[in-house]
Amino acid sequence: MKKAKIFLQFILFFFCSNLIAQTENPDFARSIGKIYVVVAVIVAIFIGIIAFLIYLDRKLTKLENQINNK
Amino acid sequence: MRKNWWKALGVVILIYTYTAGLLIPLKPGILSVNPSNLNSGEEVTLTVIGYNTFFTKTESELRAWIKLDNEHAISATKIELVNDTKAHVSFNIPSNLPTEDKVTDASLVIDNDQDGAMVLPSKLTIKKTIDVNPNAEGWTNAPITDLNRKTGFSFPFRGILYETIRNTYFHVCLWFAMIILLITSVVHSFKYLRNFRMEDDQKSMSFTMVGTLFGMLGIITGSIWAKDTWGTYWTWEEVKLNMTAIALLIYLAYFVLRSSFDDYEKRARIAAVYNIFAFAALIPLIFVIPRLTDSLHPGNGGNPAMGGEDLDNTMRMVFYPAIIGWTLVGVWISQIVFRIQRLKEKIMEF
Repeated sequence: MKKAKIFLQFILFFFCSNLIAQTENPDFARSIGKIYVVVAVIVAIFIGIIAFLIYLDRKLTKLENQINNK
Repeated sequence: MRKNWWKALGVVILIYTYTAGLLIPLKPGILSVNPSNLNSGEEVTLTVIGYNTFFTKTESELRAWIKLDNEHAISATKIELVNDTKAHVSFNIPSNLPTEDKVTDASLVIDNDQDGAMVLPSKLTIKKTIDVNPNAEGWTNAPITDLNRKTGFSFPFRGILYETIRNTYFHVCLWFAMIILLITSVVHSFKYLRNFRMEDDQKSMSFTMVGTLFGMLGIITGSIWAKDTWGTYWTWEEVKLNMTAIALLIYLAYFVLRSSFDDYEKRARIAAVYNIFAFAALIPLIFVIPRLTDSLHPGNGGNPAMGGEDLDNTMRMVFYPAIIGWTLVGVWISQIVFRIQRLKEKIMEF
């Protein structure tokens, strides 16, 4: 569980740092008609939905533990 | 599986919108022209940079005009193609302009049979160097005729937006889906207040949760776009941004309110009433107030968005399915939230 958490954090950090790098360097982000802005937007939506799924997963795990303890 | 066809439909529609929204190219357009400040009575060579253009791969010659208004235009004297996206275009600007103004703005129009007609509107300024009677002779008019049309699927090429016009399918659709989810949530709140069934409260809560998630993703994606277009992630001068932030804060307060009750009946009743008020506040905050002022946001104050050339029929073919797809997936996620919530309250009852 702990390992998975560290792994997830690493993945999130990796994606986020990518995003920040893309938005902080205007020449790269504005190249090819600003297509990388679209890429960053899609990545942001992806991360957002995955983060929400992780939140739901943890909520469900808590419920399962409650049932098992009764 | 027969009951869950709409989930599969939502996923299929989203896959379609992602592929079509990313693969269909932009129409060819003019990215920049240099120099853009011209003087009357001089011979000038403009460097034109095209986007998605095929200057050298055409059968017909490239043609170019400087267009003053609907009746006055001059055509290029010499055109030299460097590569597919770069051309040097020379003009002989007459010494008298058919206008009284000291400075007039003009558009650049270029055309070939591969890329169709491309316009860079009002980007050129022509300064009068000598005062000549505007009615005097000397302006040779070259009418813009026989313009070509680009065939095949393509999205409109718009200044400022460029490729980010594709955000219509990702950023804008999230807001549309959010509104649909929040309306559903309010309907369930009304239902709860009519017959006090706990299921309606749980459903209302889960739709609000996913609606708020979509709203937050909408704000984050808008922020990323703003950083590269306006140079800042957030500006307090944009009414549209501030009002949506307030609306989302109202909805976040809904969850704070819910978590502060131990009694489920009481919580459901107060949450339903609060949800109705939150939605009543959302309508003016999102639909009314941003339309009252000028704004830099596309769609407000003459900036490109939802009308005419900005949302053409090719874009509609992706945009409307994208709204349906995001809504279906949103309903799917909120159903999962609902089932977890129902399970939780059932366990708590024992």
